[in-house]
Amino acid sequence: MASAIFYILGFTALAATALCITRRNPVHAVVYLVNALFALALMFYQLGAPLVAAWEVIIYAGAVMVLFLFIIMMLELAPASAEMQGPGWRRWGPVLLLSLVILGCTLALLGIQADQDGVPAFWVSPRAFGAALFDQYALAVQVVSFQLLYAAVGAFYVGKGSLRRRTQGEETP
Amino acid sequence: MSAGLLFLILAFPLLGALGNLLLGELLLRRVRAAVAVAAVAASALTCLLLWPLAAGEGTRATLFTWLESGTFQVSVDILFDPLSASMTLMVTLVSTLIHLYAAGYMEDEVDTTRFFVLLNLFVFAMLCIVLADNLLLLFLGWEGVGFCSYALIGFWYAEEKNAAAGRKAFLVTRVGDVFFGIALLWLFALCGTLSISAINAQASLLGSGTLLALTLLLLGGACGKSAQLPLMTWLPDAMAGPTPVSALIHAATMVTAGVYLLCRLFPLVSLSPTGMMAIAAVGALSALYAASCALAQREIKRVLAFSTMSQVGFMMLAVGAGAVSAAMFHLFTHAFFKALLFMAAGCVIHLTGGENDITRMGGLRKQSPFVFWLFLAGALCLAGAPLTGGFFSKDEILLADFARATLFYRGIWLLGTCTALLTAIYTFRLVYMVFAGEPRSHFHGHALPGPMRWTLPPLALLALGGGLLNLPPLYGGKEHLHQFLGPLAGTRIHASHAVEWALAVLAVALFFLGWALVHWRHRRAAPEPVGALPAFLLSGWRADRLVERGILRPFQVLAGWCWQWGDGRLIDGTLEGAGRLCLSGGERLRRLATGRLSTYLTALAWGLVVMLGYFAWRIL
Amino acid sequence: MIVPMSHILAFSAALFVMGLACVLAQRNLIMILIGVEIMLNAVGLTLVGASALWQKVDGQIFVIFLMAMTSAEVSISLAMVVYLRRRKGTLEADAFDGMKG
Repeated sequence: MASAIFYILGFTALAATALCITRRNPVHAVVYLVNALFALALMFYQLGAPLVAAWEVIIYAGAVMVLFLFIIMMLELAPASAEMQGPGWRRWGPVLLLSLVILGCTLALLGIQADQDGVPAFWVSPRAFGAALFDQYALAVQVVSFQLLYAAVGAFYVGKGSLRRRTQGEETP
Repeated sequence: MSAGLLFLILAFPLLGALGNLLLGELLLRRVRAAVAVAAVAASALTCLLLWPLAAGEGTRATLFTWLESGTFQVSVDILFDPLSASMTLMVTLVSTLIHLYAAGYMEDEVDTTRFFVLLNLFVFAMLCIVLADNLLLLFLGWEGVGFCSYALIGFWYAEEKNAAAGRKAFLVTRVGDVFFGIALLWLFALCGTLSISAINAQASLLGSGTLLALTLLLLGGACGKSAQLPLMTWLPDAMAGPTPVSALIHAATMVTAGVYLLCRLFPLVSLSPTGMMAIAAVGALSALYAASCALAQREIKRVLAFSTMSQVGFMMLAVGAGAVSAAMFHLFTHAFFKALLFMAAGCVIHLTGGENDITRMGGLRKQSPFVFWLFLAGALCLAGAPLTGGFFSKDEILLADFARATLFYRGIWLLGTCTALLTAIYTFRLVYMVFAGEPRSHFHGHALPGPMRWTLPPLALLALGGGLLNLPPLYGGKEHLHQFLGPLAGTRIHASHAVEWALAVLAVALFFLGWALVHWRHRRAAPEPVGALPAFLLSGWRADRLVERGILRPFQVLAGWCWQWGDGRLIDGTLEGAGRLCLSGGERLRRLATGRLSTYLTALAWGLVVMLGYFAWRIL
Repeated sequence: MIVPMSHILAFSAALFVMGLACVLAQRNLIMILIGVEIMLNAVGLTLVGASALWQKVDGQIFVIFLMAMTSAEVSISLAMVVYLRRRKGTLEADAFDGMKG
């Protein structure tokens, strides 16, 4: 049962990704990608990584993809292309179908969990995960945090530079 | 008396040089000169006071260890034995007088600080040569005098001619220094030490071929410094320097350094009979060559320069005959009378207002009897007038040659005797041309400053009485110098009284013959001969042209070829070719960098494919 | 393990190739970045699978680091996207050839 759900989720992710990379409209692509990420998160959960699964949803599907959407909308990149035309089910159908499959799998997984059957042999609890991360990989955490700081500074600098240029009117697009 | 005090002899001139170097510009001109003179005089005084230390084996003193590396050890140590002590005394005494003279001579010159610094530095370096007990310290002094000589010849460097003369002297002596340097390294390789006394003690253990080669190398070094054939071309040109410099460096002291070196290493040199013959031959040929050239020279200082070369040739001749005491004897008397002659020549030039050409002089005897008599005193010594210093010393050299009864040395003796006749002729020619008759042109002369006058009589006394230093038993003397030098005096001369008398009479006869010839010519007031032979002699046997044709021109051609083909085509071509290759390679590679993201991403993907392909291939 | 490791690897390889295809085929900077995200997620799947296979927590920890680095990368690159868009008025990747040799 659990294995079947895993394969279903895997093919769902593949399908969502395939749809994602073929879109011309970036907004659509991001939505399909979010679908794929949800499926992936569930696969992580099945492989005994609940914390990673949670972060997959929170960081990837939540933060990163929303950031993508913000930028796309800010720059008005979504074209009013042919994809937007046509009947409604063609636009909504695939997304709905994928979402329903994922929802079904989630419910099924919850059911299995309740049965105490198919609980994976390998299961990393958040406590064990945190202990390993901050004990064994303390230095790496420091390094990565610095990396994030640099990224923040870099992003700020690049964004500010373009802001200043625009206000000075040096380069108008 | 402590042996360490001996270093004061070296220290005074160095201190004088340093003092003038650092403070000279702040001092009055007279004080500057006084510092320089006092430094050298103090050195002479110290040498006199410490004289007892030189007796017997002499005294050795070590100041500090200079270099040390494994078995290689060089310390700054000096040897104050009879040879070096007598040489030191001569150098410091003559230097003191010449410094005094220079104080007068340079009275109206600018930049006397540089002059006195270099002069003092020269005395220091010369004393290093004289006193050094190891060859490296000697070499230091050797190069030091070379540098000072270069800088002083070109003292009036604003004139291209003077600077060129300084360069020439420096480069030509450098050729000799190379030989000396090789000899030095070889001696260290053979003996494991550079101490002169140790090398002399070990010399008898070396093979005869090695000894010959070493002797020839040392002779090469001595030839460069002492202006002997074939490295003699620099000395006549060196007269471009101020006259005190010519007197001190190019007559009395530095040019005799080569002779002194051979005397110092005489125990080594004397072991090679062939080497000794080479030394004698070089000396005799140089003496004859220079004397013949001096016959035709027109500049007063050039005549004296060629005569210096000739007299140094006599000294080499003496060393070659094994008579170190005779060589040193002649070295001393020559230093006195040649310094005297140069200084008197400086007075002559001063009196005639800077005129150097003897064909335009004449009649100076009436104008300044004082200078005439002193110049005559020096000239008589040079010409070998009976009972003057030069007579005895030259006689002893010829006797030492004659006493070696082989055909070779008889031939050398004959050359020496001919040279003696030529010497008398050119000396009297000089005297007659400058002092006799009526003035040939009108001069605006200067008055002689005091120091230029006072310093001449003492030198004249030393020159005329120089024979007393080493008066042979024949004339009732006791050969003081020979006795004093003791074991360093070289081979003893064995000659019967009859031979000695015969040679002395011959020398007197040659002297008077030369005088008579010149007198006869000038009585009739014959003009200077013109023709091929005088021109040939005037140009120094065309030695300069020979060097230019034989060495400089081929070298220039070779250098030009190296420059145009080797450097221009080969090296530059290679480098430019490599540069062009890089450039064209870069031009092709440049196309890879399209600046487009898609290209790079594709390249990335292909890289991935290659890596994966490699892994797949490894697995399969 | 509920599924064989080879199947997990197959899934992740398929995801990776799709991401790569997106990166290579698309000309829009945003789409290229999305392709990069897909490829990174494929790697994450491999890491989690390996973690389950070896029964070790390290693989999952590396996924966390991967996410952190991705966030950094995304923040910088999106800032660049904004900047470039303002400068050139387009997001076509081939329009930017300022580094042409």
